[in-house]
Amino acid sequence: MFVPSKRYPLGKSFPRSTLRAMFAGVYALYPLGCILQLVSTPETFGIAGDVAGLLMIAAALALFAVLAGSSLQRQSQEPETMLDERELAERNRAAFGAHSIFSGLVLLGIIYLMIGRDLIANQKLMVWLPETGEHWNAIFWGLLIASLTLPGALLAWGKGEPEDEAE
Amino acid sequence: MSVVHNRIAVFRAEMSMSRKDLADLVGVNPQTIGYLERGDYAPSVELALKLADVFKAPVEALFSLKPFAPLGRTLKEQRSS
Repeated sequence: MFVPSKRYPLGKSFPRSTLRAMFAGVYALYPLGCILQLVSTPETFGIAGDVAGLLMIAAALALFAVLAGSSLQRQSQEPETMLDERELAERNRAAFGAHSIFSGLVLLGIIYLMIGRDLIANQKLMVWLPETGEHWNAIFWGLLIASLTLPGALLAWGKGEPEDEAE
Repeated sequence: MSVVHNRIAVFRAEMSMSRKDLADLVGVNPQTIGYLERGDYAPSVELALKLADVFKAPVEALFSLKPFAPLGRTLKEQRSS
């Protein structure tokens, strides 16, 4: 998802280190916030855990909103005709990597669900499995954010620091 | 993959052209010119020919699979011959 602004029609450029930190923030804060919300009961962290979890999710979404207007998101999401050959070559490599990672994540999730169900059915081990609509909602939005940002994240970890274009 | 060496920065400096000017002339993002000059990206034949056309130079004067000799040495060799 790329959201251009009037001021930055080609997306805002950030230093690679900032972009990497923002992507890492999204991937760390969202799942941690969800887990904190999940484990927060009156006996554990109480309302403080709930609020902290919510704040972490909000921070992850705020970072996602900033990334949506970045030049890397433009490169990863714009139609082919809007990119030059170097941008397109990099994007294709990143898209292939993102596809592999995303497929692997989904496959691992399905394997976990299968093994978890078996373990619970045979009463060998109690593992956490998503049950409520809230659980599935958190997983859905997490996967959606991952699918929208993974190509951009792989571009951020690519080689080369963009230089001043007017140089 | 072999490295493609180039003299884009030298030719660009000689023509007092900014990366943005050159990028506009060949239809790429200005950052792509930086990637090309640093050798981080090897251009397609089409882009190499467009660049050579802008500098009015043969494409082999602009790109090479072997490192270019330093300009000082080339000038010295020309003077001595």
